[in-house]
Amino acid sequence: MKLLVKYNRVNIPIIVIALLISSMGFYFIIHFALIHQLDKDLRIEQMEIVHYVKEKNALPETSNYKDQKIEFNLTSNNFFKSKFSTEDVFNKRENESESYRTLEFLITVNGKNYIAEVKKSQQETEDIVQLILIITLAVIIFLILILFIANRFLLASLWKPFHHTLEELKQFNLSSKNKLNLPQTDINEFKELNETARSMTQKVSNDYELLKNFTENASHEIQTPLAIIKNKIELLSQSENLTNMQIHSIQSMSDAASRLSKLNQSLLLLTKIENRQFKNTENVNLSFVINHCIENFEELNALKNICIEKNITDDIFIEMNESLAEILVSNIIINAIKHNCPGGTIKIELDTGSLAVNNTGIPPQLNTTELFERFKKDSSSGDSLGLGLSIVKTICDTYEFTVSYNYKDGMHVVKINFLPNYK
Amino acid sequence: MKILIIEDEKALSESIATYLASQEYNCEIAGDYTTAIHKTEYNDYDCILLDITLPGGNGLKILERLKEDKKTDGVLIISAKNSLDDKIKGLNLGADDYLSKPFHLSELNARVAAIIRRKYFDGNSVLQFDNLRIDTQSRMVTVENNPVELTKKEYELLLYFVSNKRRLISKEAIAEHLWGSDIGGNFDFIYTHIKNLRKKLLDAGEADYIKSVYGMGYKFTSQ
Repeated sequence: MKLLVKYNRVNIPIIVIALLISSMGFYFIIHFALIHQLDKDLRIEQMEIVHYVKEKNALPETSNYKDQKIEFNLTSNNFFKSKFSTEDVFNKRENESESYRTLEFLITVNGKNYIAEVKKSQQETEDIVQLILIITLAVIIFLILILFIANRFLLASLWKPFHHTLEELKQFNLSSKNKLNLPQTDINEFKELNETARSMTQKVSNDYELLKNFTENASHEIQTPLAIIKNKIELLSQSENLTNMQIHSIQSMSDAASRLSKLNQSLLLLTKIENRQFKNTENVNLSFVINHCIENFEELNALKNICIEKNITDDIFIEMNESLAEILVSNIIINAIKHNCPGGTIKIELDTGSLAVNNTGIPPQLNTTELFERFKKDSSSGDSLGLGLSIVKTICDTYEFTVSYNYKDGMHVVKINFLPNYK
Repeated sequence: MKILIIEDEKALSESIATYLASQEYNCEIAGDYTTAIHKTEYNDYDCILLDITLPGGNGLKILERLKEDKKTDGVLIISAKNSLDDKIKGLNLGADDYLSKPFHLSELNARVAAIIRRKYFDGNSVLQFDNLRIDTQSRMVTVENNPVELTKKEYELLLYFVSNKRRLISKEAIAEHLWGSDIGGNFDFIYTHIKNLRKKLLDAGEADYIKSVYGMGYKFTSQ
């Protein structure tokens, strides 16, 4: 549920109830005030009558207007107390009952007691009260309408910095090194949110940076001892009169050292690509790089009896680092050779938008997308490190190429789409 | 031929010296920046192996000073950093080649030999091994004046063997030298490659110099 909806669900009923209660209160207060005013008028009327009787010693004429009626009735009750009352009088002319405010009081003329009855119509009062009710209702509707519009537009614009921050956080990528671009806002809550997001991502980036530097330094430090081990093994293997067992041990040591050094170099390469240390980009002639790479492995393919079919459009230029272009191409082609079967084929196709390398080989046992992950390799790949494809993926990610790996009709297909970066 | 090894890691410089000595090079070792500066200032070397990270200073500074003094010593940078920047900087400063650690001694030796060939024979060097003759400029191989037709990789392989004569070369070192990257597998294809080369040399009248050493690699020797 959206915050706005939740807020409205509480807010609008409260406003309606509050307005209803207050308009009811308003109604009673106005009603009371107007009746009080009427009563005052009736008292003035009473005083005028008393005054008239005192002066003329006779009753004034009765009157019967629409808004005011005066009547006198003889009474024997000497102790009648004056009182106010409200009564409905049926109006034959208009065929409806009207409320009248009545004041009754005792008046004595020439020793005779009369009850004087002065009535004033409450019609006006009620009209006013009705008007007030209508206005209140109109205000309620108007307020709800205004609230609705305000929520729609004003709140949407108020929440804008929040959504912007959210979007920035979604886009945040540790390896891209882009800092958060958070909007300026004068709302304290959002300011605090931005501050927290900024300091948190900063901390995460720093930690990541430290980790990467550690990896790189560790890899560098490992190179020298590895070089010593490898070279000592090489010298040892030069010795004369080695027994078969010694030869076997030296070979195993040599293989393990080589594996370790290749692993280290691959990890170092991955770290460097991720650290964007291959900064210089140029217009690389990919057709040339691929042809050169195929040429380099020509005899190797002949030895393995692998047939290469190539369909390479000339002079395809891609904006990227030249070393990475060479690594990318040779990794894919070496993979196609390594995991091929004797007498198999490799098809290499390059056009303006994509590079596709197809090769024969035994079907993969793992999900093909998993093979892009580090150290994921098919059990049939023997002593392969499982880093070749993840290097390919990392290079592609760096330049926003899309890379896919599928197994279809007995062929392994690695396809790179250069769009939108190709020229 | 005089070689100076500028390398602070003693175990490493000793291995290099041992291997290069077996190829009849005369090796000296400098373990830090000051010794290296001192040695390069008072002596001339045919080739200097230069580590970049040294106690007391940056190896690239030594290279700069060599060039300032108009010295013509060949320089091969050996670095653990494998950093592209260092490589470009080094080569721009006038180094002849760059090799990143860890490396095969046979590879290092072949590179040193190539540098010395380029320096002193202007690339016009002829390598002779018994009746085998390799002209490194025209890339012509002859056995007692019979030309041997070799593919590019076969030629590189033969040159690698001759540069590392009488030494055991592992199959892995050969694969890396020829293809430059991890091509995996059990290197069985090297066997086929060597069989082809051996056959061509034998057909041209050469004795069988390529000796297979069980389980380890190959040796190019007349014994």
